[in-house]
Amino acid sequence: MELNERTGTAMGGRLISALVPVLVAFLAVLASSLPLSLTNGLVPAPLLGLVPIYFWCLVRPDLMTPAGVFGIGLFQDILAGGPPGVWTLSFVVAYAVIERQREAFAGLSGLGAVLGFATAVLIASACAYATVALYYWHAPPISPIVAELVVTVLLYIPGAYLVGVVHRRLVGPLRSDF
Amino acid sequence: MANGTWKIARRGNTQLPLVIVLALAVALVLLGKAQSNLFDRARTAIIDKMQPLLVVVQAPISEFDRFLGSVDELFAVYHQNLLLKDENARLRQWRNVAVVMQDRVKRYQSLLHAVPDPDIRSVLSQVIGRANRPFLQTMILDAGAGNNVKPGEAVVDARGMIGRIYLTGQRTSWVILLTDLNSRIPVAVAPGNHQAIMVGDNTATPTLDTLSQTVTLHAGDQVVSSGDGGLLPPGLPVGTVVEQAGQYRVALLADAASAQDVEILAFRRPPEELPANARSQLPAVAAGLKPAAPVPAAPATLPAAPTSTGAAPTHALPSPVPGAAPSVQPKPALTRAAPTHALPSPVSGAAPGAPTKTAHSAQPNGAATVTVPLQAQPPAFGTVAPQPQAAPDTNQTPAGQADQDR
Repeated sequence: MELNERTGTAMGGRLISALVPVLVAFLAVLASSLPLSLTNGLVPAPLLGLVPIYFWCLVRPDLMTPAGVFGIGLFQDILAGGPPGVWTLSFVVAYAVIERQREAFAGLSGLGAVLGFATAVLIASACAYATVALYYWHAPPISPIVAELVVTVLLYIPGAYLVGVVHRRLVGPLRSDF
Repeated sequence: MANGTWKIARRGNTQLPLVIVLALAVALVLLGKAQSNLFDRARTAIIDKMQPLLVVVQAPISEFDRFLGSVDELFAVYHQNLLLKDENARLRQWRNVAVVMQDRVKRYQSLLHAVPDPDIRSVLSQVIGRANRPFLQTMILDAGAGNNVKPGEAVVDARGMIGRIYLTGQRTSWVILLTDLNSRIPVAVAPGNHQAIMVGDNTATPTLDTLSQTVTLHAGDQVVSSGDGGLLPPGLPVGTVVEQAGQYRVALLADAASAQDVEILAFRRPPEELPANARSQLPAVAAGLKPAAPVPAAPATLPAAPTSTGAAPTHALPSPVPGAAPSVQPKPALTRAAPTHALPSPVSGAAPGAPTKTAHSAQPNGAATVTVPLQAQPPAFGTVAPQPQAAPDTNQTPAGQADQDR
């Protein structure tokens, strides 16, 4: 009986820990997609959804699955407006690159980690830019997407700190069984 | 943050799902290209639900923005005050001129029996959100379909046009700004009334497209909406012409970033009704030919003729040139009579060779639309003659064009 309760608690905890990364990413997308601007529209909204994707793709890829990334990108597309599917494709492509080069990205620390995230954002932004250029069949101005890239990278440091706190408190320390 | 304090989880076997998800993402983009309003319903539903929250959150953010903006202005208050006094004195002079001109225009309109300006219903709305994204520049208003706001309607502030409604929820609506990539509106540049399409490109100054190559514009020329397409009211102030890198652009009058209360203008030009076609107006008759006699319907028991011998329905196509003979003559049926259709001419009621224009005449009970041959009925001096309107509507509406582009 006691064993069953323990097992149930452990399974519930695992379920929560599995859901937390995607939920955090959804919250980040929601926060960045709110039609509110503290800078009077001067600075574009950052791609905050990429922070948890990058973080958990490196730390716990089993909790940040491709299907989860697809859902996060879809949510970004729905809230952000613009051509449908652009951010879904961009997020999945960025995830694919990070996942392929995971060992290299995971070994970075300090400024290197920020540069690694900047690379991921660059991939996502370049993919979005190319998709939109194909979508409209002419190249949109590049300065807004560069501004978005810069803002997103600058916000990575506090964003990664918050995600790290969530990881430590909710997802828990890395278990020995994976 | 992989700073060495955490262990690195082992790589999961996610290669196959990743490929499938990538394919799904590409398929989603293609589907979005085919159906651009894929997420519109979900988007408006979410924003409708969030509208009370946005209203609450927007207030302190607006105050914060205003405070930040005022910090810069503190250092230039004295200089700005001098400029404003000077500008105010000049504007007072222009106001007197405008009042005199307004009276004069009204008098001329009365003398010419001009079509009165249509009444424009407007909805005053508040900006509850702004989204500045690399591929979308929009604002969200707190009025939606429940307030009779419809897609395509113009949004203006006290200075000029800001954009158009492109998506309406029940309580909110999305505005596509004039600077957005998808924005295209028909404009006229004064002086000269040069027609053009103003195209947004996500910069602060939209470009002037489809402008005649022989036209030379000057910095400071006024750009207003032309009203072509009948969706936007003509004469809405938009901006002034500036020249940048050899390209004509428009410096907008309205500032979408600081606008708080805006008006949504509901303007629909009523479509012109085509006159009923009389027998004498058939193109065959106009060309001096005998019109095809209507054939009674074939009995239901008539067996179907073989394709090689059966006559297909014959269409007498009108010539695009009024008065010219139809390009396809009605052919006699080979084995049995078949229904013959004579399509009406695009310019109905026209005598051969007589150009016509659609003209509007102001009547005491309101404006009426009539179609008259210009040379057939010359107006007598001193009589009330219909005033021709030389610029017909085009079928290219901004909303339709934006929908195509989106």
